Amino acid sequence: MTTTTPRGAVSQPRPAFRWAYLPAVPLLLWGGALLAFPAARQPWPLGTAITGLVLLTVLALVVERRERTVRALRAELDELRTSTELLARDHLPRLVERLREGDSAETALHRIPLPPDAARAAVVRLIAAEIAVSERRRSAAMAACATAAGRMQALTTAMLADLRRMQERYGDGDTDSGILGDLMHLDHSTAQAGRIADSIAVLTGARSGRRWSRAIGIESILRGAMARIGAYRRVRLHNVPRQAIAGFAAEGVIHAVAELLDNAAKFSPPTSEVHVHVEEVQAGIAVMVEDSGLVMGEEALRRARESVAGDADITTISGSRLGLSVVGRIARRYDLTVSFRSSSRGGTAVVLLLPNKLVKPLPAAPAPAARPEPTAVAASPAAAPEAAAPASAPPRDTAAETGGLPQRRRGKTLAAVQQQTADSRPAKDAGPATSPRGFGAFRAAVSGQDQNGTPKDA
Amino acid sequence: MSRSHRDESPDRLYVITSGRSDGADEALDAVTLVVAESEPTPDMQSEHAAILRMCRGPMAVVEVSAHLGLPLAVTRILLTDLLDGGRITARHPRPAPSPAHPLASPDVLEKVLVALHNL
Repeated sequence: MTTTTPRGAVSQPRPAFRWAYLPAVPLLLWGGALLAFPAARQPWPLGTAITGLVLLTVLALVVERRERTVRALRAELDELRTSTELLARDHLPRLVERLREGDSAETALHRIPLPPDAARAAVVRLIAAEIAVSERRRSAAMAACATAAGRMQALTTAMLADLRRMQERYGDGDTDSGILGDLMHLDHSTAQAGRIADSIAVLTGARSGRRWSRAIGIESILRGAMARIGAYRRVRLHNVPRQAIAGFAAEGVIHAVAELLDNAAKFSPPTSEVHVHVEEVQAGIAVMVEDSGLVMGEEALRRARESVAGDADITTISGSRLGLSVVGRIARRYDLTVSFRSSSRGGTAVVLLLPNKLVKPLPAAPAPAARPEPTAVAASPAAAPEAAAPASAPPRDTAAETGGLPQRRRGKTLAAVQQQTADSRPAKDAGPATSPRGFGAFRAAVSGQDQNGTPKDA
Repeated sequence: MSRSHRDESPDRLYVITSGRSDGADEALDAVTLVVAESEPTPDMQSEHAAILRMCRGPMAVVEVSAHLGLPLAVTRILLTDLLDGGRITARHPRPAPSPAHPLASPDVLEKVLVALHNL
């Protein structure tokens, strides 16, 4: 009866002296009988009747007591259930929330109302202690990962800069030695290692490893992304607009595009190409990465969308598909939109929409690449050793343009050279190979880089 | 080495050359003059377009390299691409053959250059 009754019915008010009804009916009957049959006033029926009455009263009292006990137990059960529900719906979630926010177990226990019952309070305390321990463990693991990833990022960034410098140095030197190729190979491996470190950093919530102090052109963004994947030779860029991405978001965009390119290259045949189309649209710039691999089924597309849209919880990350989770994180940070669809090329197309607020006009090239009149610049001091031999002693130019480096006046030797080599290309052995190492200072002066980057005589 | 990464570009050299580190035309040395024969097209790699814009008049390979901010070897690969596509022509400076001034021969001058560098 109690178990099937709804909770509300149990607590309805009951008449206080209902037990009295039980002896009252026979009492009335007995009184009526005495009045009706006065002849029956003999001691034994009277005694019997009184005994019966007493028994009935006792019975009624017993019944009432039981009722009361049942009612009390029921109320207690009810209260217990309510407080358990309160515990599950209110106390524990608030406790967990506090603990996740970083409170210690004691602080969290102070801040939430504890259940009055000692046993349940003990349960809450135990749970609080356990969650606090596991939260500490989780945050310690995340912090360790983030720190390690940050150090890896710093290392790879420094390594990439050093490698670039070495490439500059040996790229000017003897090209047959293969040093440049080896350095490029190392550079590529380092860039890929850097991407993995970046991914871990993004997933553990560490700040991005590097910032670009200026806006980065879309072409550089895409090529930077290509540089970080293994199969960059299979990527084809099409109609890249002359726009740039704001420096603060450039690293994130590069990383997101790199992950998308990596996915496209991984899930398509190793001989096929991955095409990247960039389009200026109303909302910003759309970067479409299109492969010709297997068409993703509905289920796969749904999973991909889920990976990208997954909330910022690390528990949603699947072990083998980190890339899309990383893209999702970056997309949320910079308001990028990622959408998947089947490609007309027979593969999958991913469209990454970069919002207008990230798009900037392309900054002017830092190197003076666009010289106004490059018609008479051929006679550089570099050309002097062999080209300017017959020319008369050339006067010196003002050194303003070349950053302090003396420069031969233009036009003179060019004229001589052009006269002599009027038409076709001569044979290969027409002149000795000029040692390009000698041009380091010239290059440094023209491109305006600091002397650290120039080759020094070892 | 100095740690100023801030002015770098995310481009890597191997992407610019599509993974090539050699294979440049042997005849293109540092002082070869190159002249553009066509205008840049929009779908070109930006370095190629920049070379074509730069070389409207003759320009030495080393100067192209300096303006692009790329190592000579990389520039030579890029120039070879353009050369193969017929978009530029190269003019090789011829050493001045003058028996009257044998000291002015390129070999001697190169030796002088190297010696000066070693100073």
